[in-house]
Amino acid sequence: MGHNWKGRVIFHVDMNSFYASVERVYDSSLKGKPLAIAGDPKERRGIVVTSSYEARAYGVKTTMPVWEARKKCPDLIVRPPDFDKYRKVSSDMFQLLQEYTDLVEPVSIDEGYMDMTLPFKQGSTVAEANHIMRRLERELGLPASIGIAPNKFLAKMASDMKKPLGITILRKRDAAQKLWPLPIEEMHGIGQKTADKLKKWNIHSIGDLARFSPVSLQQRFGVKGRKWNERANGIDERLVDPDAANEIKSVGNSTTLEHDEDNPEALMMTLEKLSEKVEMRMKRKQVTSWTIQLTIRYNDRKTITRSKTNANPLFTAKEMKEQAKVLLHEHWSGKPVRLLGVTALHVVPVDQAYKQLDLFSYQKDEKEAELSQTVSHLTDKYGEHIISKGLLTKK
Amino acid sequence: MHFIIQRDKFVQSVQHVNKAVSSRTTIPILTGIKLEVTSDGVTLTGSDSDISIESFIPAADEEKEYVEVKKEGSIVLQARFFADIVKKLPGDDIEVMVQDQFATTLRSGSVVFNLNGLDPEEYPQLPKLDESRTFRLPQNLLKDMIRQTVFAVSNQETRPVLTGVNMEIENGILTCTATDSHRLAMRKAITESTTENLTISNVVIPGKSLNELSKILDDTDDLVDIVVTGSQILFQFKHLLFFSRLLDGKYPVTKNMIPEQAKTQIELPTKELLHSLERALLLSKEAKNNVINLKTLEGDVLEVTSISSEVGKVTEKIHCHQVEGEELRISFNGKNIMDALKVIDSEMVHIMFTGAMSPFILRPTDHDQMLHLFSPVRTY
Repeated sequence: MGHNWKGRVIFHVDMNSFYASVERVYDSSLKGKPLAIAGDPKERRGIVVTSSYEARAYGVKTTMPVWEARKKCPDLIVRPPDFDKYRKVSSDMFQLLQEYTDLVEPVSIDEGYMDMTLPFKQGSTVAEANHIMRRLERELGLPASIGIAPNKFLAKMASDMKKPLGITILRKRDAAQKLWPLPIEEMHGIGQKTADKLKKWNIHSIGDLARFSPVSLQQRFGVKGRKWNERANGIDERLVDPDAANEIKSVGNSTTLEHDEDNPEALMMTLEKLSEKVEMRMKRKQVTSWTIQLTIRYNDRKTITRSKTNANPLFTAKEMKEQAKVLLHEHWSGKPVRLLGVTALHVVPVDQAYKQLDLFSYQKDEKEAELSQTVSHLTDKYGEHIISKGLLTKK
Repeated sequence: MHFIIQRDKFVQSVQHVNKAVSSRTTIPILTGIKLEVTSDGVTLTGSDSDISIESFIPAADEEKEYVEVKKEGSIVLQARFFADIVKKLPGDDIEVMVQDQFATTLRSGSVVFNLNGLDPEEYPQLPKLDESRTFRLPQNLLKDMIRQTVFAVSNQETRPVLTGVNMEIENGILTCTATDSHRLAMRKAITESTTENLTISNVVIPGKSLNELSKILDDTDDLVDIVVTGSQILFQFKHLLFFSRLLDGKYPVTKNMIPEQAKTQIELPTKELLHSLERALLLSKEAKNNVINLKTLEGDVLEVTSISSEVGKVTEKIHCHQVEGEELRISFNGKNIMDALKVIDSEMVHIMFTGAMSPFILRPTDHDQMLHLFSPVRTY
């Protein structure tokens, strides 16, 4: 590879039994033992979310009920999931990957793509992948598999081929030999239902799909049908997009009250504070929203969420508070409240927002627009802090 | 009560009054149609208490006999069944006969329906209106005025008075105005009044009433007498009365909302703008906001664009007959403009802009009887 490599170099990094691995980092007594993470281990109906390779050797599988897993593996240790812990380790993991390239796209909590084209052009070798894998294990205690390929699809397929702790290179020209014999269900992006449909067309392996007419596939399944065919042939143009996971869809804030509260005025005050926080965060992210959602958790833990969509985008804490207040008024049962939350749903970047002006009151917006234009001229010229809204500064 | 009536005449009348009948009324008797027979003829009435329609079929006119009255009387019949039955009866004549306990027999050809009627005494009396404020309009003109304004009424109950069309008469000019506070449609016409120097204002007719009335109006020059009182309006035809409740509340003053100073003016064929907006809206429909951007370019060219972040973008250049004044970039709800263009019968329209953040006016070029006003959309 190295200098002669003409295409892209994509890594797919996949943590092996991530939750179980994290648990072992925090509790070394679990090392080398069969371990399952399950919904609620006290409940017999809990379901296995993931399990260590030791447990898998006994036949424990994801989505298996705990009682069944225990039957297969009597020594099984069952732990409840702790997502805060997993998120923390996940962010450490992505930070480590970012030391190698800026182009890291998190796909989920435990896997991501890296575009390593540039480092490779500058002389990196496959040894780099080994380095990453060893560091993940040594520094974070996370076994990982890495797939290396000229595109995302092949990289993803490759990382699945050697688990745990494997590095697999899959070139486009290897597709016929390594990919095509695999059953169609194993193709990334094809679920059971799609697989069943494809089988009716006599497509049983990835090779069958690769050789099938892309035109017919597109006619039957739309554009994605054609994409499947391309991918089965080792073609995938998707770029590694570090921002893909960052697209914000909602901005919200919630707070657990100091004591269970049933005084409407105290609840209103809380809504005001929450709305202010949401306004601040939306401003920072440069987004706006039409829909405000209110979350109420009562003292019996029963939780309701109710939302309201406004005709025009909401920018200020005051506007959001008004919506939240109406929602509280309409939906609060009057019982003591333990937690309140205000969330702006379906947010969009401010530059995509619009407001239908009112024939009777457009002058207000006209003035406001002039003012905000003047402010942005001033800040462009003299910097952010030259001017700010009144009332914030006290003499 | 007992009479024999010509079927076609009867069916038409029943269908007219049935327009006022609502199945969702809180007053049970109003689910029925009232029939009243005298030696002069048959009177039918339907009402949902907002709209009431009374239709009269004379026993005979100069040409023909329509009704053979055997016994005077009255009855109320369930509109749901009665209206469908008379439409489907096979003969040229229908015989209607009420026996005791409101049991009613409908007979036509060899078909007999026996219906249970309701007590006509329970049916509310239609108001007797003071006719001191009356004016007249040809049917086809009234129909046009409704079509050209009623689409702009608000369909939201937050400001009920905006769900109606406001009528005003001053110096012999009738003005109809409708607005949902985002767009406004106005239509004027010269009217004849039987009252000297008739002035009326703040007569707000529910949009729903006008839509029903429009279905009854024919494309003829025959005059309609329009009687206005404080709470009711009556449209009086030769053999039909159409009553509507008026909306309470003060209609906003709209005269001073119409800008006079233009910053940018354009003139172009109605159809071209309409089709261009239709194409542009193909994309913004997806975003459900109908936002269209308009930009003036060199050489009397207008650029229409619409962007949907998920679907894509459309750009179209329109050659106008004239573009005058300042350069302009403005965004607006394209659907509202389309609604207005669809009711403009003239070939060319004139648009007067007063800035990107203030209302603009759309008018046909060949007369000044019609005006549409729109507020733009603010982008950030």
